[in-house]
Order: sequence, then C-alpha cells, then structure tokens
Amino acid sequence: MSKLVPQEKYEKTKAFHFWRWLSGTKDPYLDHVEMKEQKEWKEEEQTIQDRMNERQMIHDAVYDMGRNKKQRLFHGIYVAVAIIFCFLLLVILLYTVSNLPPTGSPEKAVNNEVPERYIEKGLQETGAVNIVTGMILDYRAFDTFGESNVLFIATVTVLILLHYTKKDAAAKKEEANDRAFEPKNDTILQVCATILVPIIILFGIYVILNGHISPGGGFSGGAIIGAGLILHVSAFGFVKTEKFFTEKTYKIICFVALTFYCLAKSYSFFTGANHLESHIPLGTPGAILSSGLILPLNICVGLVVACTMYTFYAMFRKGDF
Amino acid sequence: MNVKESLSVLDKAYQSIFWVVLIVLAVLLFMCLIRAIKGPRVADRLVAVNMMGTMVMVMITVLALLLKESYLLDIGLIYAMVSFLAVVMLSKVYIGIYEEKVRKKETVTETGIDKRAVTETKVENVAVKEAETEQKAGNEKE
Amino acid sequence: MEILEWVRFMIGAIFILIGLCIFIIEVFGIFRFDYVLNRMHMAAMGDTLGIGCSLLGLMIFCGLNFETFKIIMIVMFFWIASPVCSHMLSKLEVTTNENLTEHCERRDDLAELERELEEEAKC
Repeated sequence: MSKLVPQEKYEKTKAFHFWRWLSGTKDPYLDHVEMKEQKEWKEEEQTIQDRMNERQMIHDAVYDMGRNKKQRLFHGIYVAVAIIFCFLLLVILLYTVSNLPPTGSPEKAVNNEVPERYIEKGLQETGAVNIVTGMILDYRAFDTFGESNVLFIATVTVLILLHYTKKDAAAKKEEANDRAFEPKNDTILQVCATILVPIIILFGIYVILNGHISPGGGFSGGAIIGAGLILHVSAFGFVKTEKFFTEKTYKIICFVALTFYCLAKSYSFFTGANHLESHIPLGTPGAILSSGLILPLNICVGLVVACTMYTFYAMFRKGDF
Repeated sequence: MNVKESLSVLDKAYQSIFWVVLIVLAVLLFMCLIRAIKGPRVADRLVAVNMMGTMVMVMITVLALLLKESYLLDIGLIYAMVSFLAVVMLSKVYIGIYEEKVRKKETVTETGIDKRAVTETKVENVAVKEAETEQKAGNEKE
Repeated sequence: MEILEWVRFMIGAIFILIGLCIFIIEVFGIFRFDYVLNRMHMAAMGDTLGIGCSLLGLMIFCGLNFETFKIIMIVMFFWIASPVCSHMLSKLEVTTNENLTEHCERRDDLAELERELEEEAKC
C-alpha cells in the first residue's frame, strides 16, 4: 500500500534530487548552485544591416558595368551567343519541317497497321464512340495511369516544398486571415459565385460522364471542376472551403482513385493477355452506361485532376489547405 | 423552278455571312491586341483581354455552325468560364500586390530602415517589381 | 416554305450584322476614350448587347434543338459573369490609381451623396 508523502519529506529524498538533476534545474553535487537558463544566440539589428550593406557594396563593385571591363565583355559575348543560338535553332527547326512529308500522304511512316486497327476495330473492341478516349483509356491505359501518377507526384512535391506548419496562436490567426491584402467579402462576387459555381461543377461532371460519347473526358472535365473550386475560394475564402475540402479529403480521393484505376486496369490487362473472359459488358455504343471500364476510369482521372488543380492553387496562395 | 438550286443559293448565303463575320471579327481582334499591348495601365490590358474573350466566343459559335460541329459550343462555354475566372483572379491578385507594397512602404517609413536593405527585399519579390515598373510607365505616359 | 426560309435567314442576318456593328463601335470607343473607366463602358456594351444580338441571330439560324439550348447557356453565363468582371476591374483601378481625382470625383461617404441628391430633387 502506498502512502502519500508530504512535500517537505519528499524534497529530502534521493528520487526528488535525481529528478531535479535530470530536469536540469539543479546540480545535486554543487548543492545550491542554480543552473541558468540558456539564452538563444541573437544577432543584433545593426550587424545585420552592416552585413547587408557590405554585401550590396560588393555586389555593386562586381557588377559595375562602367568599370569592370571583363564583365562587360562577358555580357556582350553572352548576348551575341544567345541571339546566334536562337537563330540557329530556328533555322534547324524550319529545315526539318520543310523536309517532312505532306499531311495525309499514304507513304508516311506513321501510316502502318496500328492506326488502321484503331480506326477499323476500335468501336467494337472498346465500345467507345469517341475513338480518342477509347485509345487513351483502353489501348494505352497504362500511359494515362502514368500521367495521373505524375500529377499526384507533382502535388506531393509542391506539398513538401510549400507546406507551412503553424507555430503558435498568433501565427495561426495571421494565417487564417490569408486574404489580408485582398478585397474581402465582396458581396457582388459572392452572389455571382453562388449562382455560377454549381453550374460550372455540373458542367464539369457532364463533360466527364460523356467522355466516351462526345469530346472531353477526365482531364478536361477535372480542369473545369477545379476552376469552379478556385472561383469558390476566391469568393468565399479558405475558411468556408475548408468545410468540405481539406488535406484529408485530398489524400482519400487521390488514394482511392489511383488504387481503383490500378486494380481495374491490371485485371483487364491480365485477362486480355491470357485470353480469358473478362466479364466486363461493353453495352450498346452511344449509351451513357457503355464501353466497359472507360466510364469509371474517366471518373477516377477527373477526380485526381480536379483535386490537383485546387491543391496547386491553395498551396501557392496560402501554403496550406 | 427547281428547289435544289434555290437551296444551294441559301446555303451559299449562309456561308458568305459566316465568312464576313469571321473576317471582320479577326480584324477587330487585332485592334484589341494593339490596345492590350499599348494600354498604359494594368486595367487597360485586362479590359482589352476581356473584350478579346467575348469576340473569340462569337467566333467559336460561328465556327460551330459553319462546320456543323456542335461540340465546339462546349468549348465555347469552357472558354467563357476560363476568361471570366482569369479576369477575376488577376484583378484580385493585383489589388493584393499593390496593398502589400503600400503597407511595406508605411512600415519602412515608420521604422526608418536603411534604403539599401529595402531595395534588396524588393528585388526578391519579382511580381511587386513588375507592378511597380508598369505603374511608373503608366504615370509617365499620363 | 422556301420564302419562310429566306425570311428566317434575313432576320438572323440582320441580328448578326447589328451585333457586328456594336463590336465595331466598341473597338472604336476603346481607342477614342482616354481613361480606363470610360473605356470599360464601351467594353461592357460589347459584352452584353453585342454578344446578345449576334448569338440571337445565330440561334435563329440554328432552329430549335439542343445546340440552341447550349447557345442560350453561353449568353446567360456571359450576362451573369461580365458585370462582375467589370466590377472587379473598376475596383482594381480605383484601388491602384494614386491620382484618381484627376480623372473623376471620388466620394467615400455615400450617405452624404444621397442627401445631396435628395436636396437637388427637392429644388
């Protein structure tokens, strides 16, 4: 059974001295010498000014075009070489273009069996009326998967470089007021945004869902949805947008979309390469629910692109979600 | 009087009016571009760019009817959205940069920091410098 | 029937030509006026009346189908968005121009202005 020891008695025990020594407030061997708190080394304002002035003076002396002859010579040669290089590149490119075969000629190198097969059998094999979508999301789906991954990696890199962690309450308050230098609560813009943002996002969804029937698809539809989100942020500010779009939402959406894309396409390639039945119905060409995996894959790509657009904007504007 | 010939005349009339609209709008677009390059202030350029967006919208719609491709109308709608968003964002960003600059100047005059240090911090912010040079050019012209 | 087609063509062409004339006036005005806020007046005219007239003409050419609906969408979008554009641009100009009073009057106190206007109306 343990018993509560009074404070005076406890202060005489060894455990108390040990913990005091461990926490650094008192040295037990030098009895009453209290340890001083270490001050952080701080540079004085004047020395910073002096150093900056010195650097400016050195900079002025080195880059003084009037006196430094070497610098002037280098600058002249640099400009001349740049102009010559540009003209050389222009001449080379024009010469190459003039040697290309004319458009649509049958002797062209690209006119082989690959586009022939795409054009002839594309509709029955993929079920997409829009052959371009059928090509990028069926025949060359792994290429598109790589593109979505590149977008994801770009966002992650921007997050690493620009993510700003808040330190204390004052900094947090300063950060929350991110539009300190912008016109805040513009009523005209807010009313306009309430009308337009739903229309823009609806239009983006229409473009994504009709990707295999009419021109459009994941990339363009996602860009439209991202534009709608950016308009919402510019009208209402980050505080309102954080209610439905945070860093967590971004993580979940990107993870689910990319994983689903990877699994679905792996299944389809596995069955296709081994001549197995894939059990994915192609449907009637021209209907919304048709052409097998293209519609879900379009939705995945659209989600990733929309999130990437918005995240880039938020990162460069504020450094946080 | 055969119907076929008259119909072809009607088609020709449609096509000719489309071409007239396209050519006139192209000339007007070029004039707008001149204003966008010349315009002394930032707002001048933005107004000219906004006008160019409107004209390109009409051109896209005319092309959709001329080529009988209805998907061009979707592109026109997207174009309208993006030009609207661009003008709103650019004006907001420019206001932000200007007010930041004004506040920086005020703090500098209060604390009385050496001018060289201020110039060095200004060199870092390229956007502020750009806005400043444009403002100077505008003031000179006016 | 044939005459009706021609009548439709004529009406549509007239609307399109009106729109084109308004665009020409707009570009003329943008070179004629000296200051941004005056130029914005011309630009707003083209954004609303010009695009309205020319797209109305194109709608008459098109007939009644899904494309017409899309063109109506475009016009409605422009009529909602373009005034907001003008508002933001004028705000930019008023905030950034340091010597604004050379070009126009500026009143920060709106209540005072309203009172003055009422007094003028009474007189």
